[in-house]
Amino acid sequence: MGHTATPDTGSAATPQVGLTATEHRLANGLRVVLSQDSLTPVAAVCLWYDVGSRHEVKGRTGLAHLFEHLMFQGSANVPGNGHFELVQSAGGSLNGTTSFERTNYFETMPAHQLELALWLEADRMGSLLTALDLESLDNQRDVVKNERRQRYDNVPYGTAFERLVAMAFPEGHPYHHTPIGSMADLDAASLEDARAFFRTYYAPNNAVLAVVGDIDPEQTLAWAEKYFGSIPGHNGKPAPRDGSLPGVIGEQLREVVHEDVPSRALMAAYRLPQDGTREADAADLALTVLGGGESSRLHNRLVRRDRLAVGAGFGLLRLAQAPSLGWLDIKASSGVDADAIEAAVDEELARFAEEGPTPEELERAQAQIEREWLDRLATVGGRADELCRYSVLFGDPQLALGAVSRVLEVTAEEVRAVAAARLRPDNRAVLVYEPTGPQAEDAQDPGNAADAGNAADGGNAEGSSEEAGDEQ
Amino acid sequence: MTFHPKPEAGPARPWDFPAPERSALDNGLTVLHCHRPGQKVVAVEVSLDAPLYAEPEGLDGVATIMARALSEGTDKHTAEEFAAELERCGATLDAHADHPGVRVSLEVPASRLERGLGLLADALRAPAFPDDEIERLVANRLDEIPHELANPVRRAAVALYADLFDADQRISRPRQGSEETVRRIDADAVRAFYATHVRPSTATVVVVGDLTGVGLEGVLGSTLGEWTGDQAKPRSHPAISADDTGRVIVVDRPGAVQTQLLMGRIGSDRHDPVWPAQVLGTYCLGGTLTSRLDRVLREEKGYTYGVRAFGQVLRSSADGGGASMLAISGSVATEVTGPALADLWQVLRTLAEEGLTDDEREVAVQNLVGVAPLKFETAAAVAGTLADQVEQELPDDYQAQLYARLADVGTVEATAAVVRAFPPDRLVSVLVGDASAIVEPVKELGIGPVTVVN
Repeated sequence: MGHTATPDTGSAATPQVGLTATEHRLANGLRVVLSQDSLTPVAAVCLWYDVGSRHEVKGRTGLAHLFEHLMFQGSANVPGNGHFELVQSAGGSLNGTTSFERTNYFETMPAHQLELALWLEADRMGSLLTALDLESLDNQRDVVKNERRQRYDNVPYGTAFERLVAMAFPEGHPYHHTPIGSMADLDAASLEDARAFFRTYYAPNNAVLAVVGDIDPEQTLAWAEKYFGSIPGHNGKPAPRDGSLPGVIGEQLREVVHEDVPSRALMAAYRLPQDGTREADAADLALTVLGGGESSRLHNRLVRRDRLAVGAGFGLLRLAQAPSLGWLDIKASSGVDADAIEAAVDEELARFAEEGPTPEELERAQAQIEREWLDRLATVGGRADELCRYSVLFGDPQLALGAVSRVLEVTAEEVRAVAAARLRPDNRAVLVYEPTGPQAEDAQDPGNAADAGNAADGGNAEGSSEEAGDEQ
Repeated sequence: MTFHPKPEAGPARPWDFPAPERSALDNGLTVLHCHRPGQKVVAVEVSLDAPLYAEPEGLDGVATIMARALSEGTDKHTAEEFAAELERCGATLDAHADHPGVRVSLEVPASRLERGLGLLADALRAPAFPDDEIERLVANRLDEIPHELANPVRRAAVALYADLFDADQRISRPRQGSEETVRRIDADAVRAFYATHVRPSTATVVVVGDLTGVGLEGVLGSTLGEWTGDQAKPRSHPAISADDTGRVIVVDRPGAVQTQLLMGRIGSDRHDPVWPAQVLGTYCLGGTLTSRLDRVLREEKGYTYGVRAFGQVLRSSADGGGASMLAISGSVATEVTGPALADLWQVLRTLAEEGLTDDEREVAVQNLVGVAPLKFETAAAVAGTLADQVEQELPDDYQAQLYARLADVGTVEATAAVVRAFPPDRLVSVLVGDASAIVEPVKELGIGPVTVVN
């Protein structure tokens, strides 16, 4: 027992962000990151487990996400749906999500209810298997299959992300499949699979706990020690499969889908530098200049001037243990064919690879990314999530504090260089949708840049155990 | 591991919904502002008194095209330049038209607030409405319609509004217009709609965020203060009427793997004193995963990813003549559509027969009141609610008072409100799904006559 706290390193916050954090480690290996902010009487608890769909094995895709649902089905001292019930009746909100590289669980609480959230998270980290049974597995399996139907199978273009990912990452690669998994694999998941998954990955030394908001850091650390400190750590986690790949695919991959969709669409995924590198920030800026908003090059060319498309956007899916993906999403105007769009895209990308961004374009892209960052930091939950992200993926929460400055330091030449190296036809997987329905001849669409961005930012990649949002 | 007893809550720290300060500019523009320390992205909401029912006959969608065209160039910038200037401030500007009026939303880092407000003011004061940009927006809008109809959630909503509300009412038709009406819209129609309905004297701007060091009065004066316009004739809102006799409309989507459900009926104006009790009761019925509907349909049966019950304001006016939509929505696997609906109706009947429990009411109050400080952490959330209140002709302290009223609602009162809101025989049910698989099982339920449409 007892903890070894690192010295308070949080005083060197960047002025734009005003965020500080201290980092601690319990004896069982649980890392704890604390950040105090007393402006609003709320506190966010965020727990990232270093396990995602990339850790799944063949035949068990979707297991990490299905397991995330099981984490809400009770533990030794929390019967049934008690986790939800207790948080909600304390005036808190909660959820969990699963992506390629991690699974996160979070509660935002009125500040005086913080201790309850810590107790709940510790109870399921330490004792989930006491409560886990086949009945809840079967039930949540059905829920997750309906989640898959609702979010992917029953909506136009719903499986585009899955198809592009499967092309950009080859068969056998840990990122070849998306977190939602396949119906067959969800059917095949057994109680023993779930138990083994918990025993392998749900250990304190495979997790980071961040607590942000109107907290007393000393008291919070004492609570973390009290509730989590006796959960034994273990080293049973196998080394994850290697996700490294050549920087460029080496050929243009292509799939044409004939489906009953409302309009033709051209989508593509490009392999880009891994998250955590300066090149990834440069790529983020390149995609923003090219397809990040209403003043972007692709929007101006395809939507405004040539009127080939109703929406054209580029988004970045940052990945730390495999190449990131640049995700292009263009929905055609009625009567326009995919070739014309593709030719215009190629022309714009080639020109950009040659010229790079203008100073004005770079300024705009940096301003957009800065605002997006400020938006993420506007809530205690957003801040807790960023601190966990940098801790789990890059080993250092303090990196979150300088993220904006790093983007603002990138030069135009670096942006050009990454575009020239990566945004090439031989480094992309292309997906073309050809409508088959009765309106196929004069098909069309909306689609907008924001949708494309959201999809690539991982929104579509994640399964959440409950949709947020209520109306009162 | 060592287990410890469940901890007790510490002493609650006070929080109140922020009280805005109200003022007016010389041009008649009403201003609400609210300082939120730490919120570095400032949220600005402008509410324009341009309701959808004011659209000329046969031009449904003109308010939407006008809203979108506000950012397509001004007397200072072309459309492309305007978009570039906005992004240079790190700002976003969105505008959309809904039944009560047009809303324009600006979000901008506090350090660039003045520039952002300058652009917003240009868009409102002197939009260029160029012929070719309007033509493009109309073409885009036409291209969007098939996408909306292909989306089961949107398709269900279109079908419900069309069937529930009387056909001659604007509210029965899509907010953004249909193919037939959008096709008729041109720049002249947009300019005429703007000239008739957009003016500072009937508009309100809400500014929320960390305003430290911002001389808001001066900044507003030199930006939105430059906007001029005449006085408006007073409006009278048309009445909203609907027929919610129980019936089922199946929108056929052959091969669909799920059925999208939307059961709705007309509810009262938000000024109705029943509103807080109805919010509470509706939460108990279907506000979250632990509410009655999901306890059965999701957590017991696994039929769905989630089903929600809600009350949505359509229009609200001080005289109480507005209306709301009371509805239940979600999607269920195709093959269990019949059993899922049977369970759903059983939940409603049980609720009517047995009522809510004191525990349910207690948990709902704790949640609805307790989450307020979380829900209103961001400037955008506060600004949106303040602007809604203005648009809905509610007092500026409505949200703050709502929390006090919620805490006072008793179990009997909440039960009465939710039972009155969701009577099992007065719901219009739209099912978007594979008719060949679901019509027969649905007919057997006896929840009303079944019509199939394409």
